[in-house]
Amino acid sequence: MAALVEMDNIVKIYPNGVVANDGVSFSVERGEIHALVGENGAGKTTLMKILYGEERPTSGVIRINGNSVHFHSPQDAIRLGIGMVHQNFMQIPSLTVAENIVLGKEPTRRGLLDRKAAIQITEELSRQYGLKVDPEATIESVNVGMRQRVEILKILYRGAQILILDEPTAVLTPQETTELFKSIRTLVKQGKTVIFITHKLREVKEISDRVTVMRGGRVMGTLLTHEATREGLARMMVGRDVFLEVSKPPQVRGEKVLEVCDLTYVSETGRQVLRGVSFNVYAGEILGVAGVEGNGQTELVEVLTGLRPATGGEARVLGTPILNRTPRAVRLAGVAHIPEDRLTNGLALQATINENLIVDRYFRPPFRRGWFIDNNEVRRHGQQLIEIFDIRTPGGEVPVASLSGGNMQKVILAREFSSQPQLLIAAQPTRGVDVGATEFIREQLVEQRNRGTAVLLVSADLAEVMSLSDRLVVMYEGQITGVFPEAAKATEEEIGYYMLGVKRQSPEEMEAYL
Amino acid sequence: MNLLRKPAVREFLRIIIAVSAALLLGFFITLLVSKQPLEAYRAFLLGPLSRFNRFGDWIEESITLTLVGLAVALVFKSKQFSLGAEGQILLGALVSGSIALFVPLPGYLRIPLALLAAMGVGFVWGYLPGYLKAHLNANEIVSTLMLNTIALKLYDYFLIFHIKPPNAGYNASETFTKDGILPSFVPPLPFLADLRARFMSQTNITIMLYLAILAFLVAYFLMYRTPFGYELRMIGANIKFARYGGINVKRTIILAFAVSGVFAGLAGAHLAMGIHTKLIQNISLGIGFEGIVVALMARNNPLFVPLSALAYGYLRAGADIMERSSDVSREMVLVIQALIILLVTAEQVLPVIQQRVAARREAQPAASLAEGGQ
Repeated sequence: MAALVEMDNIVKIYPNGVVANDGVSFSVERGEIHALVGENGAGKTTLMKILYGEERPTSGVIRINGNSVHFHSPQDAIRLGIGMVHQNFMQIPSLTVAENIVLGKEPTRRGLLDRKAAIQITEELSRQYGLKVDPEATIESVNVGMRQRVEILKILYRGAQILILDEPTAVLTPQETTELFKSIRTLVKQGKTVIFITHKLREVKEISDRVTVMRGGRVMGTLLTHEATREGLARMMVGRDVFLEVSKPPQVRGEKVLEVCDLTYVSETGRQVLRGVSFNVYAGEILGVAGVEGNGQTELVEVLTGLRPATGGEARVLGTPILNRTPRAVRLAGVAHIPEDRLTNGLALQATINENLIVDRYFRPPFRRGWFIDNNEVRRHGQQLIEIFDIRTPGGEVPVASLSGGNMQKVILAREFSSQPQLLIAAQPTRGVDVGATEFIREQLVEQRNRGTAVLLVSADLAEVMSLSDRLVVMYEGQITGVFPEAAKATEEEIGYYMLGVKRQSPEEMEAYL
Repeated sequence: MNLLRKPAVREFLRIIIAVSAALLLGFFITLLVSKQPLEAYRAFLLGPLSRFNRFGDWIEESITLTLVGLAVALVFKSKQFSLGAEGQILLGALVSGSIALFVPLPGYLRIPLALLAAMGVGFVWGYLPGYLKAHLNANEIVSTLMLNTIALKLYDYFLIFHIKPPNAGYNASETFTKDGILPSFVPPLPFLADLRARFMSQTNITIMLYLAILAFLVAYFLMYRTPFGYELRMIGANIKFARYGGINVKRTIILAFAVSGVFAGLAGAHLAMGIHTKLIQNISLGIGFEGIVVALMARNNPLFVPLSALAYGYLRAGADIMERSSDVSREMVLVIQALIILLVTAEQVLPVIQQRVAARREAQPAASLAEGGQ
């Protein structure tokens, strides 16, 4: 019997000449959970967009149930029972869960939306597949986990038999991930087929039946999951041995570098975002900040780096006050900042690599000489950092926009690490970068710590904060609700409870460890 | 292919292609509206070179356009859309013209003083909207247009009530004396005497030619070799990045507006002391806005502004000559001119051609694979 989905020798070349899929053959059996893994830029998402009709292959054949098909748009794919959940949800925030689910195929009464029917449909689907949602809540009021379930229900309502999930766990807490996996198993039991795109190998092992590894637009192989090891899969993805665990020498804790005391921040709209945050970071340690996104971590970092005014409290770096100072004053006090949103803050995309590398130092010698900037020095400096940080580029004079995500991040790292900071604030440093670059970034963070820099690491990737940090705090609704003096000894489940606000330590309990 | 990758070559090609396309379209329209299309279009294409005084007009115009183009390019590079050049030109003309008329100093002092004063007033008239934008977040398009109106009315007021001779029947000042007029660009050397006489009798090409070249060099170095230029370009590329990196965004924005005004003020002095040699009403006639076209055509890169000014000045001069010497009406001439500007400033002319080429290559995947697969 033919496989449910067969993609045969798919080639996709974009108009700019990028070969995203280079003769890819991929097949999925009915009723399986098939993981599709690979680094960023390996071609996974492109392949799935082709299967979903969003992109058209340059050449190659797609067969569903043995019949060759040509999709001109996602509508064609949906008609054949293929649905995709994107990384960015396509929902209308002001409408309710039920309205979003039926949107585009609404039950009507006298030409108007039948709200009752919509709610009923949602409840039935929700029960049938074990995906809990609140039909009458508006999308903007529900959390990311529920929004994702809404997205899945939406495609089930449209009759999807094959569900493509694009990195669904990237935004979830451990508990929510566990829930999602339960739902996926329920779906499969009811005859659905799931294609699961990820780059987290632990999840591959946990959930999938088979796994296909892609690298550089080609398939490196398809394995039965129980026969694969994480190390083996990582090697296939990257093409060399990868060290998944960062090895950290024992901590040598030095003097207090950052001192934050009762920090508060009220947003322009009057929302109390930071509600009395206090902690210290010492030289030679990594302090991790865990938490579900949107609990004040972004604002904490921006207040500490001079990008937002603080409403109250104090913060000092080696005794120098840094609150409500200009970003330059904060930098001159010895703070480096790897920003959460690198495209918005960290880089000027149309500017060259060399130009991006000097934004915090162009006004000082050796770059500035008298009235002028010494462009030879700028080039030399760029060349040096490109080599040290292994930025893959034809040269320093190309715009940053032409680099891959991982290499863009390396430009930021090169600049921020080479400023020899006393305090390094890193927000989501490995978000959206591939396995190889992630490994490099983590090593560099540990290297900074070993050299005696104080590191404040904010990350939504719990596994990352746990493995890198010496100490760890959890932020929930603008407060620190838990502190773990030895990050390595905590469990994900335990930290998860703090992230969700189920548990919290009293100020007295925390005091000694902050 | 490799040559095409060089930005300078691509920019040059882009301008050539766009101008050619525009000229073709212009000819097509001339065909429709003229009984003697070839004659008319010939006047348009070759007019500026056909007589010595016309050549002079073209160069004079291009000098003004270069100065205004540099002014606009500087401020646009920081993604601040100041439209204030017009007002800065007017005040530059007013201030320099007043000094040329009334300050009793010998020419070698009066002229530099007038030029400096024009640049100074441009600086101030740029600083204002810059400050309003940086500190009060006042939209610069609105504020500069309002300041233009104020400048225009100030200009008219001083001209009509204080500068024009009391019993003159027209709204203009007296012609400046020699001590208030920019000298010819040909130095007064004995062996150049003939040439100088010829240029002086038929054209007003003055030492402003050299000042414009100097201004071009200053603008280029300012933008690409100085800390201020770096700050300005980074703000233009990504203002959040500039802030994150520690650049004083407010100060730089204000300076960008003000420095831009210096160039526009100088352009005003050129109008007063070089071209008209007196203050007249409507002295600028919207040239501040034409500077925007020049800057856009040069992609806000000072390096290409003179070329862009010469090309645009040529089209303008040609259109004027066509209007005067053929049966094509002024309205149609303006339509042709507008179409040309439209095509030349269209951002995507060259990229579209490149995409076509790429699409054709995509049709031959084997070839592309060999090339892109490295």
